[in-house]
Amino acid sequence: MEWVEIGLSIGRIRGVEGVVNKIRWRGASGKEAREEWRRRVFEEKRNAVVGEYDVVIIGGGVVGAALARELSKYELKTALLEKSTDIAAGTTKANNGMIHAGVEPSRGTLKRMLNVRGNAMYGKLAEELGFRFNRVGSLWLVTPRTLASYRKYLLGPLYNLVLKHVFPWVVKIKGLVNEVRSIKIIRGRRIFELEPFATRDAVAAVYIPSTAVVDPYEVAVALAENAEANGVEIHLETEAVGFIKDGSVIRGVVTNKGVFLCRYVVNSAGLYADEVAALAGSEEYTIHPRKGVLLVFHRDTGVFTRHCLAEIILPQDPYTKGGGINPTVHGNVLWGPTAVEVPDKEDTSVTREEIEHVLNKYSGLVPGFPRDKVIRYFAGVRAATFTEDFVIRPAKWVRNLLHVAGIQSPGLAASPAIAEYAVEKLRGMGLRLKPKTGFNPRRRPMPRAADMSLEELEEKIRMDPAWGRIVCTCEFVSEAEIVEAVRRGAKTLDAVKRRTRAGMGECQGSFCTLETALILSRETGVPLDMLLKEEGRLFNGYVRGEQP
Amino acid sequence: MIGGGPSGLAAAVWLAEKGYDVAVVEVMGELGGMLTQCIHDGFGTRVFGEALSGPEFSERLVKKARLLGLKTFLNTYVKEVRIGKEFKEVVAVSPAGVQRLQTRVIVYAIGCRERNGFEIRLSGARPAGVYTAGMVQRLVNLYGVLPGRRIVIMGGGDVGMIVARHLHLEGVESILMVFPEAGFAGLPRNVQQCILDFGIPFRSRTVVKKVIGKKRVEGVVLTRVDEKWNPVEGTEEFHACDTVVLALGLVPYTGELKLGVRMDPATRGPEVNEFFETSVQGVFAVGNLVQVFDYVDDAFETACIAARGVEKYLNSGLKTAPIRLSPGENVRMLTPQRVEWVDDADVPVFLRPAVEKANVRIVVRNREGRVLGGFFKRYVRPSTLERIEVPRSMLSNLQEVSIDIAED
Repeated sequence: MEWVEIGLSIGRIRGVEGVVNKIRWRGASGKEAREEWRRRVFEEKRNAVVGEYDVVIIGGGVVGAALARELSKYELKTALLEKSTDIAAGTTKANNGMIHAGVEPSRGTLKRMLNVRGNAMYGKLAEELGFRFNRVGSLWLVTPRTLASYRKYLLGPLYNLVLKHVFPWVVKIKGLVNEVRSIKIIRGRRIFELEPFATRDAVAAVYIPSTAVVDPYEVAVALAENAEANGVEIHLETEAVGFIKDGSVIRGVVTNKGVFLCRYVVNSAGLYADEVAALAGSEEYTIHPRKGVLLVFHRDTGVFTRHCLAEIILPQDPYTKGGGINPTVHGNVLWGPTAVEVPDKEDTSVTREEIEHVLNKYSGLVPGFPRDKVIRYFAGVRAATFTEDFVIRPAKWVRNLLHVAGIQSPGLAASPAIAEYAVEKLRGMGLRLKPKTGFNPRRRPMPRAADMSLEELEEKIRMDPAWGRIVCTCEFVSEAEIVEAVRRGAKTLDAVKRRTRAGMGECQGSFCTLETALILSRETGVPLDMLLKEEGRLFNGYVRGEQP
Repeated sequence: MIGGGPSGLAAAVWLAEKGYDVAVVEVMGELGGMLTQCIHDGFGTRVFGEALSGPEFSERLVKKARLLGLKTFLNTYVKEVRIGKEFKEVVAVSPAGVQRLQTRVIVYAIGCRERNGFEIRLSGARPAGVYTAGMVQRLVNLYGVLPGRRIVIMGGGDVGMIVARHLHLEGVESILMVFPEAGFAGLPRNVQQCILDFGIPFRSRTVVKKVIGKKRVEGVVLTRVDEKWNPVEGTEEFHACDTVVLALGLVPYTGELKLGVRMDPATRGPEVNEFFETSVQGVFAVGNLVQVFDYVDDAFETACIAARGVEKYLNSGLKTAPIRLSPGENVRMLTPQRVEWVDDADVPVFLRPAVEKANVRIVVRNREGRVLGGFFKRYVRPSTLERIEVPRSMLSNLQEVSIDIAED
């Protein structure tokens, strides 16, 4: 898309801090409607005060949640506003859960620094918050295809020599420059000891042991739960529609729920960060949405991939930069993601052609992989800016607004470091940070029947029989877990699904959707026909119009 | 007996009547399986000689089970199965605790599941409002809630037609059925009674190219397809609706088979012998888990055959070298896949035709292709499962047999 190309060309010019791209393009649906709606709600709610806060965070993705938790370490009154019905309902819920080591970003970028730092912070975070975390390591394969485009410059045996002995060093040195440690170059049989099903034409591989995987929404939910336990207020279905300002200072964030008076505002609104920035009067960048499609494979396929696997091919395919095959913390395997510029921020559609593209792109990597075992596919949209780096800085034209925007890959990996960095920025902007004495860094992990031994499960059932009623048979999820998810704040079917995995197995919810909905309805008191999937109504009305 | 649907109950009742000690383990809160949500009639015409509704059919079995004092474990899910030398152990989880049941025989009767949109690579986002037909049936019939108001049903099989009729009667605003075949794939009686009688609109040679909508379904893009189901360019058309019902067919629910039993890629269920024993001795599989049947009566009968097999197994019946049965020309799949017991009774073979044809002969051939016997059929079609009774004498001293459909 030309409008993206134009923005990117300007963004690449040295010294350019941000690009605001107001070229109108086809398909960017909904922006006018959103603006109209915001204006209307603003007028309606500008005088209804909800409360007074030190910091208001706009956006409850993994970044907003990490920030909320970081701020909860201090004596502050903080509110986290999320427009959707759940934490992590945007970009955070739809990525491959990879905690990158930090080899890819360029030197001197914020991405590079925060990625490497964030990766190192994850182990402790996982331990404190009780989310699943697996340092699987990544393996980047060097194959005859790796430098095929440069073949004409590398005659005869030179090609293989460069491939096997020179190129891996280039990658390793890039990693070392980025301060990624313990990178190893491996060759020959050793590759297949690490990854037995990898393609046999791999001549060398770069092994990066610090790469890890998590369940991205589990991380965000854990962060938010812990922040909440430490006093942060989380307001769901609360969307910023405008600001009450006093000159260049924000006095309050106006939302559909009323006004949040505040001293500082953090804009971590993800895909909508540019629109929030514009509302605040400091439009310094434009988000260009970049879609990524991922395929989810059946848990049976977990044996085929131990590491995050990728094949290095230069120059990178502009359609799918990066991506690969990677295991998940649940035993499934993910293929993807693609990277496609899309005009619409909410375009999470997946087409048959895109599925084929991903299947074809990666089947060569693990030739024996049963590629027909796709049980689901999804797409997420990355919030990229035209400078393609994270934007974490005080707003230029508003004194008490901090931008935490443009957080695309490796944002999940960087998020703990982003939170620390952002809090330091807030300190620099004058926010007084007095450590809280009662801060509890720990969160009780979500208990799971699938992880328990029979004896443990028996004990649980004795205390609460709901542990013995299995609702989702594919993923072995009990009624008690669904009740617990609701108790922890899940209001919708998808929120329950993300917390419990009910509906994520082979049958994709054809057996348990209704059962889960019935429990959700019972626990929340919302009638069955009024329940939501995420934001849309699950069902609609009663037979022949009669409510029982 | 793992599974308390019609097949599981039929086999359990049969065995209990003979005095065997049978326990039925059912994951749902009541017995009857999918029949409890099938409030339409037409069940049991062969087994009971009358057309019953699903709940009536299952109630008859449940009554019998109660009379016999059959042990039933409801809300109980089988987590593990261990195969010992003489005894097998079933570890099940229920609100009452973890149950460990020692048994000599396990019969799996866990039925089938519905194919979902991901399996056919349905394009679009994943908004609320896309449901499988069975789930919709359950929602409407048991809880009185509608999935939506304007419905598109994908699939022209029996399940789709029956759900279409129900939604029509329960007061939705509009229904459109689409399917890629030239005609309905289900039973002719359902085409008449569910679709034509109520004037429900349908489009053949049409598929949903993409589901439109973010929060909730807002419509679908329909496209015409040719005989090979390839989309015809330029025929895309938007059709507004708020619900997409997927009636894409059923597949055996083998994800729950916790043993290394051999599978048949054609039926997608476990391989069985003529008494529905799987490749693991003393482990049987019945009903729609083995192969998806058209009628509950068929599933019921397989359960009774399996029950006889269980009896033979418990009384140390003899086996011979297995004779392998495989689908030949014009046959998509068949069960049993092998014949191995020493027995006198004819072997019932269930097979799914791959073609629609009049006046054909279902032919049994040996490995060399020599015809061993044939069974005349006036009309075969893929939507109707065929059953033939193969005399054992026809199979004696053979190792391999193929069954095909030929012109008469």
